[in-house]
Amino acid sequence: MIVAKQKPIEEIIEGVRDYEKILIAGCNECVTVCEAGGKKEVGILASALRMYFMNQGKNMKIDEVTLERQCDHEYLEELRKIIDRYDVVISLACGAGVQFMAEKYFRTRVLPGVDTCFMGVTEERGVWSERCQGCGKCILGETAGICPISRCAKRILNGPCGGSTKGKCEIDKELDCAWQLIIDRLNELGRLDDYEKIIPIKDWSTERAGGPRRVVREDLRL
Amino acid sequence: MDERKAAYIEYAQAVPLAFAIDPDTCIGCGLCEAMCLAKAINYDDTERRTTLSVGALILSPGSQGFDPSGLELLGYGRFSNVVTSEEFERILSASGPYRGHLMRPLDREGPRRIAWIQCVGSRDVNLCGNGYCSSVCCMYAIKEAMIAKEHSHGELDCTVFNIDMRTFGKDYEKYYQRAKDKSGVRFVKSRIHTIDEVRETGDLSIEYVDEGGELKRETFNMVVLSVGLRIPDSLLDLARRLGVEVNKYKFAATHPFSPVSTSRPGIFVSGVFQGPKDIPTSVTEASAAACAAATVLAEARGRDAKSIEMPVEIDVAEEEPRIGVFVCNCGINIGGVVDVPAVAEYAATLPNVVFTDQNLFTCSQDTQDKIKEVIKEKNLNRVVVASCSPRTHEQMFQETLQACGLNKYLFEMANIRNHNSWVHGNDPETATNKAKDLVRMAVARANLLKPLKEKRIPINRRGLVIGGGIAGMNAALGLADQGFEAVIVEKEAQLGGLARELTTTIEGEDIQAYLYELIEKVNQHKMIQVLTESLIVGFTGFKGNFTTEILVGPRMYERKIQHGVVIVATGANEYKPKEYLYGQDPRVMTQIELGKRLEVKGASDLKRVVMIQCVGSRNEENPNCSRVCCQSAVKNALHIKELNPDAEVYILYRDIRTYGLLEDYFTEARRKGVAFFRYHVDNPPVVESAREGVIVTFKDHLLQRDLQVPADLLALSSGMVPEDTEELASILKLPRNEEGYFIEAHVKLRPVDLANEGIFLCGTAHSPKLISETISQALAAASRATTFLSQPEIVLSAVTANVDQDRCAACLICVRACPYDVPRVNEKGASEIDEALCHGCGICAAECPAKAIQLNWYEDEQVLSKVEALLEGVL
Amino acid sequence: MRIQYPENIKIIGVPCTGKVDVLHLLRAFEKGADGVYVVGCLEGDCRFNSGNLRARKRVEQAQHILESIGVGGERVQMYNLSSGEGPRFAEIAVEMTEKIRKMGPNPIKISKEKNGCMI
Repeated sequence: MIVAKQKPIEEIIEGVRDYEKILIAGCNECVTVCEAGGKKEVGILASALRMYFMNQGKNMKIDEVTLERQCDHEYLEELRKIIDRYDVVISLACGAGVQFMAEKYFRTRVLPGVDTCFMGVTEERGVWSERCQGCGKCILGETAGICPISRCAKRILNGPCGGSTKGKCEIDKELDCAWQLIIDRLNELGRLDDYEKIIPIKDWSTERAGGPRRVVREDLRL
Repeated sequence: MDERKAAYIEYAQAVPLAFAIDPDTCIGCGLCEAMCLAKAINYDDTERRTTLSVGALILSPGSQGFDPSGLELLGYGRFSNVVTSEEFERILSASGPYRGHLMRPLDREGPRRIAWIQCVGSRDVNLCGNGYCSSVCCMYAIKEAMIAKEHSHGELDCTVFNIDMRTFGKDYEKYYQRAKDKSGVRFVKSRIHTIDEVRETGDLSIEYVDEGGELKRETFNMVVLSVGLRIPDSLLDLARRLGVEVNKYKFAATHPFSPVSTSRPGIFVSGVFQGPKDIPTSVTEASAAACAAATVLAEARGRDAKSIEMPVEIDVAEEEPRIGVFVCNCGINIGGVVDVPAVAEYAATLPNVVFTDQNLFTCSQDTQDKIKEVIKEKNLNRVVVASCSPRTHEQMFQETLQACGLNKYLFEMANIRNHNSWVHGNDPETATNKAKDLVRMAVARANLLKPLKEKRIPINRRGLVIGGGIAGMNAALGLADQGFEAVIVEKEAQLGGLARELTTTIEGEDIQAYLYELIEKVNQHKMIQVLTESLIVGFTGFKGNFTTEILVGPRMYERKIQHGVVIVATGANEYKPKEYLYGQDPRVMTQIELGKRLEVKGASDLKRVVMIQCVGSRNEENPNCSRVCCQSAVKNALHIKELNPDAEVYILYRDIRTYGLLEDYFTEARRKGVAFFRYHVDNPPVVESAREGVIVTFKDHLLQRDLQVPADLLALSSGMVPEDTEELASILKLPRNEEGYFIEAHVKLRPVDLANEGIFLCGTAHSPKLISETISQALAAASRATTFLSQPEIVLSAVTANVDQDRCAACLICVRACPYDVPRVNEKGASEIDEALCHGCGICAAECPAKAIQLNWYEDEQVLSKVEALLEGVL
Repeated sequence: MRIQYPENIKIIGVPCTGKVDVLHLLRAFEKGADGVYVVGCLEGDCRFNSGNLRARKRVEQAQHILESIGVGGERVQMYNLSSGEGPRFAEIAVEMTEKIRKMGPNPIKISKEKNGCMI
């Protein structure tokens, strides 16, 4: 899941201050699950903005909508009929959704309502953490299912580094050393020999370093 | 303690909560009859004789507090600052004479030092003739001391003068320790000599003999006499008329193996008339008596019950709302403050209100009939009643709707009495305005109400009993004798449980003979199925419809049993001591082992037996009292004395807890020369093995020195430990306390129910107890179970959560938030909430980030409609 | 007990305070309420285990939002009491009314009427 967190209300207010007709658009996927941009959050933001501007003596039109997904044309298409009624859209989707909406309705200003953080997991209600950076070439098979790219501060492929103390990372005493986790798990799996194998230098061209990426599957296209 | 008006309500919790006239205070003017708007008073009413034909009788007449006026040395009646514990309860009560402020009667000063005197009218053959222990006074004295400390404005010293502290009930010992260690209540082992008043101050000087035999004197501002329970003479008369035998203390005579049956068949007894006891035990026993009576009446069940025929429901879903508003005057309760006609007039202006009326008493029978007529005549499809609390009256009004074919959820109440006229009585104008606001809010919600369908589920009328000991077998018989099938699941190869190890009760009844008869009865009963060597491995469903998977031995084949209720009777065992050379020296044994030894080998070879109490109880590992060990020790001591009067028996104890009628056996033991020595928890006896015997060293407090005694046998009064039910508890999701006993739904009010609906609890799985108490509790559990099983179906509240599966993001937040683990994400990837399991709290609806869950009857729009109606026109 | 308390308190019933949605709290202020408070069972005594603890979190969330948009976070409060505490209920009603009086009317309210609402 893509994990996002809500922007401070003050920042959102600054962004829409000069407009009069605002649409707040939620997304029923990842941001609903991480409780940053689902229908409920849309309602809360709308209510807060309405009150803020009423308090300022300003009459604003603030409407709410929550799409199934903002990263698909068909769902975004549902806005076509109404989008021109608004000066600005606050999208509570992840960065992908915000952009896709902006691409589609390029005459309408689209503002992000959340900060998109990472691809991660729900550790427990209210706690999310990073697990994947989308490097484009997965090596989890060699690292006992624990990703050194996303979970090691230095992204070392043959760790740990000298900053690992008692299983924790030197940048944060609360943070597990990814390589300690890898070694522990290899041990558990009886594959500690794998640790001796040197992981070759990674080809970072599949990552962001190679420029913006796309996945094309010809077998699926007509 | 205070003056009472002629028309009074007995106490705040009285049922019915209605006024009565006190003939002693009433001056006889009869004005009340003329003034009563509801015409509820018949001033000239007289006693009438009625004849009822019944198949069984249950006696629960209760008891009286002991009147200490006759005990002159205690000064009650002479010194105003000496009060009984009952009077002190009133002093602490918010509705009492001092409105809950802690004051002493003489000068209404806040006391700084209070003393409680225990065993007033109990454990005392010489002065009052009540040889029994009243069982409840130790606990209530501790409670009063704790509450007094809370109510006191400054520091308050509380001292409880006692012979023994008898906190033997479930978790009571923990309460006692907390009072002592955390709240600083002082407990003094003593015998009271006299209480004198200090003339100048009204304080009281207590002269007592302490544990070491020393005469001491202390002064207190106030003294509370912890008076015992006694059976009034009027009951003796009742018993005589009914032909029911009583014992020497006037309690109904019962047999330990049929604890709620009186000497006369068909007449049963519960509560203190059966023997002194506390609230949980009384409540349990009341259910037990109901079970015993229902067994006699099983054939006639439901014969005289009248059922109400409800008309077919009218479909109003497509109709525009047509709302009727009924505003109640509640006599003068509302009408005396609020301008009711104005409120009714205002209601008529609200959206979709087509009828309004005001009534003197909307809840009266004739108004119900009137409402029914209006519903039909005006084609009302929503009803709003503006009156009192839905808590007391909603159901009644809903029934009125149903009688007209309207769905009961098309009803809304505005509480313009409790929330308005009662609490804003001094400002009629604002109260009238508020009543209008409340009616407007109610009408707004009524406009949005939808008919809801209550699910009806047939009940499987079979009960599953887990555990085949005395508790389980009695519970199964309780079900089966009332015509409900029972399945007993026992993990051992034989029925009987811990009772297989026991010999006789303290009364001398043969436990093995009873057990044999009980097992026969169970095996012969055509409604009971017994599965031995069986293990529960799976459990699903809800009350009325459970399915349990069982591996049945010896071949361990799997069986699935469908049943409507569960009775948990998994029992307990005797603690195997680690202390006092147990297991190292063969002369050291537990009380159960001693009981068997006496049975087999007698006592002729025994010159001296020492017993140590509280082994494996009242310590850090097991802070509770095991309840039965004091009587076990006394029982075995008496048995030894009977077999060999020359044998010496020493019992080393901390507090002797022979509660209730057991006290007589303790008295008898002392009379027969059994020697009792108190030891302190921080100075326990020391035990050594020697050739000549087990040498026990302990301190004698009277002689103030250590005694060393060689014993032929050392009996350890070993406590109880519950069966290991960790796995079972996790399969059935049952709550257990730290010691492993199951936790009942409410300690006092629901002592045999578990919080999990449709599951009941009895026997030592609940807490340690005697056989007679176990039998009572087993019958009680069966009674609670049959109350439910005897209904043909369960009607589930329609106030449950609903998921809009198209909107659901399958985020699992409802799954994690539900206190009952009800929501689950189904194969279609959406959350699903089983309405049969949902308790209707609405937590999931509030937490859902997709706003895909609504709670019926409290849908967001319905709740918000009230907010919006209230604030209409504010902005 | 019929203890008198300020009449500006209006009660909206819910099966458990766990049912109270932050949206409900905000909506009341949006419509012009001066103050809202949630009264739940004592902590540890919730029939549904954690309903009142969740309600407290929702109230805190609403406080934070109201504070940051200039309406005033103190206008929404959570109280816990048992059903036997009538006098305390009246005390809370007075306490809350006084608190809101001191803060003045809801700033977004145009009219000067005073109103309170309680869930």
